[in-house]
This record gives sequence, structure tokens and C-alpha cells, in this order.
Amino acid sequence: METSLTPRSLGQRGLLSDIQAFRAILRREWTIFRRYPSWIIALLIWPLIFPMMYILTGRALSGVDGSGLAVFTKLTGATDFIGYVVIGTTVWMWQNIVLWDVGFALRNEQMRGTLESNWLSPTWRFSYLLGHTGPQIISMAMFVLITAVEFGFIFGVRLNGSVWMIALTMLTAIPAIYGLGFAFASLVITVKEANAFVFLIRGLVMIFCGITFPISLLPSWMQAVAKWMPQSYLIHAMREAAFSNAGVAELSSDLIPLLLFGTFWLIVGYFTFLWMERRARQTGAIGQY
Amino acid sequence: MSDFAIEATQLVKKFPARPGTGDKKIEGEAASSPKKKRWQFWKKEPKALFTAVNGVDLQIQRGEIFGLLGPNGAGKSTTIRMLCTLLEPTSGTARVNGFDVVKQANDVRRSLGTLLAGERSIYWKLSGRENLEYFAALYHIPQAIAKKRVEELIERMELKDRANELVEKYSTGMRQRVAIAKALLARPPILLLDEPTLGLDPQAARRLRELIAELKQEGHTILLTTHYMEEADQLSDRIGIIDTGKVIALDTPAGLKRRIEQKEVIKLEVTGWHDEIGEKIKSISGIENLITRQQGEADLWEVNMQAHNSRTAIPRIVEHISGNGTRLVNMNIVKPSLEDVFIHLTGKALRD
Amino acid sequence: MDTQLLSQPSFATKLRALYVIARKDWKVFWRYPLNAVSNIFQPIIWVTPVYFMGQAFSTNGQALGFAQYSGSGDYMSFILLGTALSNFILTVFWGMGYALKEDMDTGVLESNWLTPISRLHILVGRTLTSLLTTTITSLIMLLLAGLMFGFHPTGNALLAFLAAIPMLVGLYGFGFAFAAVVLMMREANTLVDVSSFLVQGLSGANFPVKSLPYWLIPVSMMLPLTYGFDAVRGILLKTNTLFPIYVEVILLVVFMFVMLWFGAWIFNRVERKVRALGTLGQH
Repeated sequence: METSLTPRSLGQRGLLSDIQAFRAILRREWTIFRRYPSWIIALLIWPLIFPMMYILTGRALSGVDGSGLAVFTKLTGATDFIGYVVIGTTVWMWQNIVLWDVGFALRNEQMRGTLESNWLSPTWRFSYLLGHTGPQIISMAMFVLITAVEFGFIFGVRLNGSVWMIALTMLTAIPAIYGLGFAFASLVITVKEANAFVFLIRGLVMIFCGITFPISLLPSWMQAVAKWMPQSYLIHAMREAAFSNAGVAELSSDLIPLLLFGTFWLIVGYFTFLWMERRARQTGAIGQY
Repeated sequence: MSDFAIEATQLVKKFPARPGTGDKKIEGEAASSPKKKRWQFWKKEPKALFTAVNGVDLQIQRGEIFGLLGPNGAGKSTTIRMLCTLLEPTSGTARVNGFDVVKQANDVRRSLGTLLAGERSIYWKLSGRENLEYFAALYHIPQAIAKKRVEELIERMELKDRANELVEKYSTGMRQRVAIAKALLARPPILLLDEPTLGLDPQAARRLRELIAELKQEGHTILLTTHYMEEADQLSDRIGIIDTGKVIALDTPAGLKRRIEQKEVIKLEVTGWHDEIGEKIKSISGIENLITRQQGEADLWEVNMQAHNSRTAIPRIVEHISGNGTRLVNMNIVKPSLEDVFIHLTGKALRD
Repeated sequence: MDTQLLSQPSFATKLRALYVIARKDWKVFWRYPLNAVSNIFQPIIWVTPVYFMGQAFSTNGQALGFAQYSGSGDYMSFILLGTALSNFILTVFWGMGYALKEDMDTGVLESNWLTPISRLHILVGRTLTSLLTTTITSLIMLLLAGLMFGFHPTGNALLAFLAAIPMLVGLYGFGFAFAAVVLMMREANTLVDVSSFLVQGLSGANFPVKSLPYWLIPVSMMLPLTYGFDAVRGILLKTNTLFPIYVEVILLVVFMFVMLWFGAWIFNRVERKVRALGTLGQH
């Protein structure tokens, strides 16, 4: 039994030191991020031009007289085609950005050669990944805000619902979206051609989650797959919240699966991290690239 | 047409510098005339420049091994890069194998075999053999000849049993051997080797030095840069010492050593020193520059002198010191090495 | 040992150098198997939501709204052809500059530039492989996607192919210039991402240019690629074209020569600058 006379080492693991480390990492990432001016362009331009491609496609499909659009409205019940598409593309971009940013966080350190030195510090290593998430969520919130402003002003997209509901939906999705990112981050260190995996995952979201079309159009086997992807629920819920004035009750059929998936992916993310850490200690793979 | 394998005349290379790191001269000018700056603000600021190579002259004979020695940042790599046409000189001229490096760049490249970045200079996603076949074609070696030549070099570089594996799986030493083989492909008369043994284990480094000596026997002219003193000493027919962009000494290794071999430094620590002892020691022939210094308040003196031949001088020195309350506490004789020549000339260490 | 120089430049060795460069790129491409496969399947992934979107606007499989612009209700053939051609745009924007940058970072660029082959010559060699690889991946994609979504060309494939050539060559010429820009920049990702996306969009890869808002149409008309897409589709799918096809082909040929000259010129200028500054191998 330990008595109070037992000396405690100075570099102890404790909640306070973890929080401090967390803040230090946050601060560092934010400083680096800000130094690259291209992020400004990314933040202002992409929310606009990415959905635009699909919107222009929709325009072409509508035809000169807009007859095609009538078909679309009948099928989806959505009167605001632009709003419909913007939500889908925004969710896709969110997952895409998270995969690149959070997913490659560890890999970038590995390439900079600093992963090993970070690894050696007694800070709880998972908090390193969490530290990346902070600025990421903030910039993503700005991204969504800018999207809303741009499409609100330029295209006159009007909300028919509560902003709080939209926010609630997105908050509920955070565990799922970032949990996937964490799992990915651990994998990326050990896999050689990690890019291909990002393309694959975001490709799946693109195909199955109904970003620009209703999932009901998919053949039944594809709809079954869509049910297993949290992004489908997110997109559906956001559309309901933004344009059908849905409240918590109506949204719960989407929010609950989102939370379940979120929990699942966070757990997977955490355990993949542990597995990777153990493997790295055994094989010494951290320093190599 | 020049008789020299490599001839450089007043090679100068200046790079645009980041503010605050430019040559002191220019900084000084700008700083000393702030008034001028204020009302003549439309005049263009002189661009800050950093001079990496400041007037290098070289004349390398055919068939010799020439070592270019200098610390990091001395301008070795920049000089080599100008000679192999990767970099254009700001001023000055250079001829390699008789061809001008700026106006006849392709002819220069044909005549050169270069080893620059070592293992990073080859394709990791190709095998050793594929790398050599690739570069052979880029050196305009006709296909039939190239095939034989590649096999020859694989044999010579001891890569035979793994020649078909991807380079990413090789050790550093093996990759270096592929890079050397690449330099030898077209049997160029002149070889430029930039820090060839850097990062190699001692055995591999030794084998490489043997190879370099063999290549000289076979008639190649070799320009070698290194910061390993023993390597330069062992291999080179002549050594050029380069520092802050200039060649500050050029001679055979023996010649360079002889410059200060004449002087050794004898350091004594003595108690009970008297000045008369100093006079007596100074009268010994070959002793120069006697300096004494008292160490603090204690009765301990540091006595330094330069000697032409410490062996004969030391017994006489000891004779003068013993007795009369004077006692020799410590004695050190520093023998000069090439490293000391370097320190003597530049004031810096070779390896930082 | 005989010390005679083995380097004997001739027309044959110069030609062989091109072949050897292409062969090296081909080998290296397939030695990243996941990326190679990804390259083939990515276009299909991007096409899928477009397919379903088209379905959302169609009745009985015919996109009648779309037909008002293009003259044909066969939406998917239009899109698939556009995607196959867009592949080249992506390759040119992402492939050339970054390939050079990577070579520069690893030190292999220096090795190449130390050989007695002209730097432009080397670039041309790399372009050839790129053209070949992308053509193959595009064709495979067309085949697979055609099976999944339906691809129904009704025109002369050879003529369409011939019309595509000046567009592709011109595109690669532009690629030389663009590669030079990427080489000089530290952080080129956003620039490449945004510009390749915009160029694709505005050239009509995904929708008929005529359906664009009136103020964007002039921008499209200024892009030579627009005429390439238009002409190839006009020949192969018999869709309405902006101008008569022969006019568009002439425009493309002019574009090709202008771009080849321009791209080479820019590349040479940048290469000289790199030689003066020595940023090779030091990043």
C-alpha cells in the first residue's frame, strides 16, 4: 500500500497535464494552419463551386422549360432543388475534409519525422488526435456558415426550419464522422498507398448516401448498404430539419442511428489506435515511412 | 582545347538572400544611409545577395584525384553543381573536358559521371538493373552495348544476386553502389563524387575508397568532395581547401601538412616560474613564440611555445626547468595533422 | 580496361530515350497497384451519383429536359464520354507538375537533368506514357461504365478519336506550362484542385454548355476544351454542337499549336530560372 511519503515523479500522467498538452497541440496546429493562405481560398471557394457543379447539372437536366425539374420535385418532395443538393454536397465535403485532415494527422507527423519524438512524450497519445479535431470542427463550422450565407444570398435559398435543429443534427453526427477519421488515422500510418483509401471511402459516401438524389432511386441492394452508412441519416435529417421544419421527434428516427453509429465508430477508432500503438511498439514502425 | 580535365576561372555564385542574411557589405550600405532611403524611396533597394562561391580557381589535371575539402556551407556543393551544369555561375567560366559548362552543357554532361545525392538519386520503384538500363539509354549508349555494360557494372559492384529487386528494398550501401554504377555507365573520362562515403559503414566506405583508387588506375580523372580528412589525405593527389566560397589552399597532402608540421606546440604547466628560465628556453634553437601566463593567484604558470622539433627541444627544456624551486606539473605536445592545417587556415573545425 | 566514352548520340538513341522514359513511367505506375486501380475506378465512382441524379429527372429513361439542350435524351452517353475525356484533364493538372515535384524532392530529377538529354525531351517522354496510361484507363472505364449504365455511341469512333487528338495534345502543351507553375509553388494543392475542377465544369464535361447561366457561357466559349468536348460528342453521339464540327476541329488544331509552343516556352524559361537559383533537389 502506498503511503503519502512515496515520491511521485514529476512527469506524472494526470488529467491536468493531458489538458495542457491538448491545448498546446491545439495551439500549434492552429498556428501552422493559419500560415498557409490557401486555406482562405479553400474556405471561401469550395463551399460555392462544389455544389455548383451538381446544381448546373440539375439545370441542364431540367431543360429550357424546367420540365425536368417537375419530375424531380414529384419524386423527392423537395421544392428547393438547390437546397437539397447543397446539404448533400456539404456533408460529403465534411467527411472528405475529416478524412484528409484527421486521417493524415499522424501520417504527416511521420513524414515530418516528428512522430517519434511526439510519441515518446508521456502525454496520452489519443489526446493528440483529439487535439487535431478542435480546430477542425471550428473551421468546418465556418465552412457550413459560409455555405449558408453564400447560397442564401446568391441563390436565395431559404430555410424552412430551425437553425438549432440543423445544429443539433450536425452535433449528433460528430462522433460518427470523426470516429471514422480516427480509425482511418491509425490505419494510414501502416498502409502505403493511403490516398487510395480516402478515395474509396469518400467514393462510397458519394455512391450510397444520396448526396444529389433520393436514396429511394437506388436498387434495393444498394439501399440496404446505405442503411449502414451514418452519412445517409445525416443528409436525410439535415434536409428534413432545414426544409421541412422537422423537430426533434421527427428527426429522432435519424438521430438515434447517428448516435449509435457514432458510438460504434468512436470505439473502433479508439481500439484501432491502441492496436496500432502496440504494433508500432513491437515492430518499431513509427520512425519509418 | 584545354589540357586540363577541369578548369575553373574565378567562378562566382550569388543567390538572392532572405532579408538579414545577405552579405554584410550590402547590409552595411543600406544601414548607413537611412536618410537617403527616406526621400529617395522610389529607387530600388539593392537586392540582398548571398555569395556562396566567391571566385574559385581550379585546374585539375587529367588522371589525377583532386580532393575538395571544406566545412559545411563552404561552397563545395555549389562549386560541384556549377561544374556539372546543374547550376549556372553568376560570373566566371568553367570548362570540363574542354567544354564550356554554360554554352556546351550537353557535351559536359556526356563527359561526366556524377554522384550527388547518393541513394536518393535513383528510382526506388525500379530494380537496380532497371535503373541502370534506364540511365544508360539517357546517356545515349546504344542498346547492344548498354546491355553488356550494365551487366559488367552489376558484376563489379557486387549487385548480381539482387539486381532484379526493387531499390526500395536495398540497404544504403547497395543503393550507393547502384548510384556509382550509374555514374560509370558511359565510361566518362571525368568523375564528380560529392561526399561519396557519407553515411556508409566503415567497411563499405573502405571498399568505395579502393574502388576510387582503381578508377584512377583505369585512367579516370576524379574530383572528390569530402569532409573526412583521412579520406582526402589517403586518396587525393592534390587537395584544395575551400572555405567561405574561396580556395584558401591548394597543394598535395604532404605539402599541406608540411606547412605547419614545422611547428609543434608545446604546452607546459609549471610552478615556481622565473623569467630567467624563459630566457634560457628561448635560446634553445627552434623554439619560438614563448608565452607565459599565470593562472589566477596560485603559483601555477602556463607556458606555451612553438617548436620546430620537439624531440630535441624537450630534454633541454626539462633541464632548464628542474631545480631551483621550479617544478614541471604537466606537459603536452600537440602534433599537427591535416585537421590542424585546416584549423590553422580557417579557424574552424572541419566537422561541425 | 578500355576507357573510350560509350555515349554516342544519334537519332536512334534519342528516340530510344523517349521509349525508355515512357517504359520507366509505365513500370512505376503499376508498382503502386492500389493507386492504379483507384485511377481506373474513381471516374466510375464520380459518375454514379450523376447517373442516379439523371434518373431523378427522367421519365422512362429519357432525360427530356436535357434533350432540349443537347438534341438527344441519352443523358448517360453524354456524361460517360465527358468523363472519359475529363480523365485527361485530371491527369494533366495533377500528374505533370506533381510528378516533377516528386522527382525534385527525391533527388531523381537531378539525375535526369545530369544526362545529356534535353530537359524538354524528357518532359515529352513522360507525357507520352501519361497519354497512353490515361487512354487505357479511360477506355476501361468506358467499357465498365457502359455495361453498368449504358453507353450508346452512334457515330464514327475513328473520326471522334481523330478530333480528340488536337485537343489532347494542346491540353498537354498547356500542361507543360502548368507543370512549371506547380514546380515553383510551395503549396500548389488548392490551385490545382480548384482550377482542374473549374476547367472541367466549364468545358461542359458534365452538362451542355448551353445550359449554363448566360453570363458564364462566354467564359466557357473561351476555353478551347469546350470545343473538344463538343466536337467529339457531336461526332460520336450526334448531339447539337455550338459551331459546325469542322470549325471546332480547326479551332482545336490552332489551340494545339499555340499551346505546344507556349508550354514549351514557359517550361524553358522556368528551367533556366531553376538552374540559376538551384532549387533542384532542395525543397
